Amino acid sequence: MTKASASGEQAILLADVDEAARIVAPLWPLSSFIAVNPLWGLREHSFDRAVELSARFLGVHGYPSPDLYADAVRTGRLVPEDLWHALDEHGSEKTAGRPAADGEVGASGTVRARGARAGGTTTLARYDASRGTRLAESTDAEVARWCAAYAAGVLAHPDGGGLYAAWRWVVARDPATRRLAGVRGRAVLASLPDRAEDAILASLERLGVAEVDRVDELSGQLARMPGWAGHALWRSRWAAAEEPGPALHLLDYLAVRLGYDAVQREAAVDGHESATHRRRPRNELRSSRASRALRVSSGDADVDPRDATLPDDLRRALTALAPGRAAAIWLAAYEAHFRDDLLGALGGAVAGRPLNRPLAQAVFCIDTRSEGLRRHLEARGRYETFGFAGFFGLPMRFRPWGAAEPIDLCPALVRPVADVGEYPAQVDDGSAARRLEDVQGLAGMTDAFAAAKKGVSAAFVLAEAGGFAAGPLGVAKTVAPSAYARLRKRLGTFLAPRPATVVEPAASDRAMTDDEQALFAETMLATMGLTRGFAPLVLLCGHGSTTENNPYASALDCGACGGNRGASSARAAAAILNRPQIRLLLESRGIAIPDDTIFLAGEHETVTDVVKLLDLDVVPHGRRAAVAQLQEDLDVAGASVARERARRLPGARQAASAGEARSADWAEIRPEWGLARNAAFVVGPRALTAGVDLDSRCFLHSYDPDGDADGLALETILTAPMVVAHWINAQYYFSTVDPDVLGAGDKTAHNIVGGIGVLRGCGGDLQVGLPLQSVFDADRAYHEPMRLLVAVVAPRATLEAVVRRNAVLRDLFDGRWVHVVVRDDEAGGWAVRRPGGTFVPWEPAGRMSAEPERTMSEEIGARG
Amino acid sequence: MDDSWGLTRMTRVEVVIGGEDVAVVSSLISDVGATGFTVVPNVSGLGHGGFHQGRLLFNDRDGLALVTVVLPDGKCGALLDGLRRLLERRSGVLLVSDTWVSRPGYFDSPT
Repeated sequence: MTKASASGEQAILLADVDEAARIVAPLWPLSSFIAVNPLWGLREHSFDRAVELSARFLGVHGYPSPDLYADAVRTGRLVPEDLWHALDEHGSEKTAGRPAADGEVGASGTVRARGARAGGTTTLARYDASRGTRLAESTDAEVARWCAAYAAGVLAHPDGGGLYAAWRWVVARDPATRRLAGVRGRAVLASLPDRAEDAILASLERLGVAEVDRVDELSGQLARMPGWAGHALWRSRWAAAEEPGPALHLLDYLAVRLGYDAVQREAAVDGHESATHRRRPRNELRSSRASRALRVSSGDADVDPRDATLPDDLRRALTALAPGRAAAIWLAAYEAHFRDDLLGALGGAVAGRPLNRPLAQAVFCIDTRSEGLRRHLEARGRYETFGFAGFFGLPMRFRPWGAAEPIDLCPALVRPVADVGEYPAQVDDGSAARRLEDVQGLAGMTDAFAAAKKGVSAAFVLAEAGGFAAGPLGVAKTVAPSAYARLRKRLGTFLAPRPATVVEPAASDRAMTDDEQALFAETMLATMGLTRGFAPLVLLCGHGSTTENNPYASALDCGACGGNRGASSARAAAAILNRPQIRLLLESRGIAIPDDTIFLAGEHETVTDVVKLLDLDVVPHGRRAAVAQLQEDLDVAGASVARERARRLPGARQAASAGEARSADWAEIRPEWGLARNAAFVVGPRALTAGVDLDSRCFLHSYDPDGDADGLALETILTAPMVVAHWINAQYYFSTVDPDVLGAGDKTAHNIVGGIGVLRGCGGDLQVGLPLQSVFDADRAYHEPMRLLVAVVAPRATLEAVVRRNAVLRDLFDGRWVHVVVRDDEAGGWAVRRPGGTFVPWEPAGRMSAEPERTMSEEIGARG
Repeated sequence: MDDSWGLTRMTRVEVVIGGEDVAVVSSLISDVGATGFTVVPNVSGLGHGGFHQGRLLFNDRDGLALVTVVLPDGKCGALLDGLRRLLERRSGVLLVSDTWVSRPGYFDSPT
């Protein structure tokens, strides 16, 4: 469908919609689940201010519950000294973090200035509050119904177009709309303008929303269902233009929403009273999200310190705090306790690489699940390990062999820059083509079976035709999941054997030149400080998680690979680094890789902690014993870390050997804990953390400050992997502190809609965040909700120079979205960074100076 | 400008904006009927927000980008209205200038 060019009024509306959308976070589809800070759009505010705004608009409880702190005090996880110290540091602040200055460039001005108006966040919600009706909830239900139908492909306009065009095409005959808004209201909706922008403007006018209040109204509209709005935001602002599937855009979504709000309000004013929006008792309002938002913003979320056993003077000090401050103090204390424990454990050296050449080096993803594997592998002998983001610095669009669609293997912050493909390893003698047909045929049958299961009528036909086989298979899958999985794998290999393949840059218009490949390799090696002392074997190890019947499977895969498995990225990087031409180019850039060094690819299966080495045909016969030794040591290390991780899993399957069963069981709701309990992002040489059991709680990024005089590597680490780690950390945080609004609820009640998300039950909003089973063990939080602690080994001046030139770091650091500690041995060991770039020497709680040691302005000035 | 050159006058709009705002600027440009535009990611320079290095390797959204579009005067007003509203709340620089093109049809397709 074509449409006329936008007018000035429409263009202004588009800018307003973009501003309003800051209140929700993008929601990626299930196939590439990306953890995101749900308050990312508010990051220009301080953390505490953003929490306050999210309480008003979304009804979010942004701080941990009193129960969590009471438990922490009982177990010694939080001690009075932590609270005294937090009071000393934060108690006198009127507002935490950076105050919101009037006229601040780039801030969400309208949202900040007014927040939600009394009684609700939209015009209709305020009408509801004043009249005791539930019209806004009716809009939510209707819009959710249309969105689900559109996402599932059930609702579509024959000439194309988005949700608005499809909805407008059918709404004139929709009986539910007539029940809501009456015949007249339905006719109004059916006669809305062609363009979604015009429809929004018309509905805003009908609702009486002045232009000055427009952003607030639009924010309120989006905040009512952050799931569908977040999906629309992702589609409108983050997804690639060529993304397949129904495209639900923000303007279409708002046009439908506002249409219902306008006609419902008019119908109510005119006296139309439907069964679905009849008046209800006032006290019933308290169960709705809108009223929840009001309760949260009015202070219900404050932590009551009387819930914990504390000395009287401390209790009085906490009780005397202004409303809202106590929650911030308790959180700061809880976080400081972890910080003190971690830094206390990292007392060793920060420099030094092995004097003797290691047997092998292994580069693992920074994912917290790699930490245990690195520790146990190093304990096996002469191994040196590194941490780097699991896409290995190669943002690529990857087409697996036989796949119809490529996948983007890179973090959400970056677009793929190169096409890479998987190809049969042997010169084609016709067998590869035959195997491709077999694989695609099998994939087609699997897809057809899945589609038939979901079809309205096909499901009955399928049950009749295939029930005789599906029934016994279902029983086998239930009572012996591991055996069933092995059988299925063997059957698949028998029916459609895969040839040996290689992963290499594709011959496309985005093919990587040798120079580009060398630049990528140099960047990766230099950023993690591996530019000399190469071992004979260098393993690049991605990771992935195999689970069954799990809509959130990609949440357990590699975030740096866009929620995909990491093996292909490792294979591509290893292939490039093994090319003689690239070695020559690297040597000319100062990185000499010995001729006997072989880069290997591998993948860490995080449910079982088994590491599989890949593409071993690159290993000459004479080196295979060394590779076999590496595999054996990886097996032992994997078994050790599997035992560690299994102990933390609740239920009967705690044995490390049960990993395979958890992986294959289609009734398993918690195959692994994923990144739960993540707490810190450590940037520095491995010498800092080697030998310390970090309990799989830290993202570990290798960094050599001595080889980074200009801070370029540090800038790369802090502006990309650290931001991704912050997103992960924030998602776990908010899914834990407010699972009702920012978590996805109980997995057992989930229904997948359109392959893009899940609903709780059969309707309503798309669920955002993580399921309860990812962060809770029964009724208790398993994840410890804390803001990410970023621990950096670097000169303070280098760090501050990097912060000064990157707004995203200033927002996160100065707004206390993360905590920063820096170890600069020339300046006296660990120091805590305060907002604005001052530092105080770190000492455990109760002994740390409250006064800044010195400002960094002179050092920054000296460095320019 | 010499008329004998056979060029057609149009308006060039350049906006320097945060990488994450490229999507909304692109939408604005498309919605007013422009037929194409150019995005240069990770630009560097000095502004009232300080010096921007423009060398973020793995983050397209937090650097600055330069978006350039050429369009006939008739389509320019709406775009400027939208960009001005956007820049009321975001960091950025908006530059508007006359320019001349040799193939006007490329920049002014019917909508």
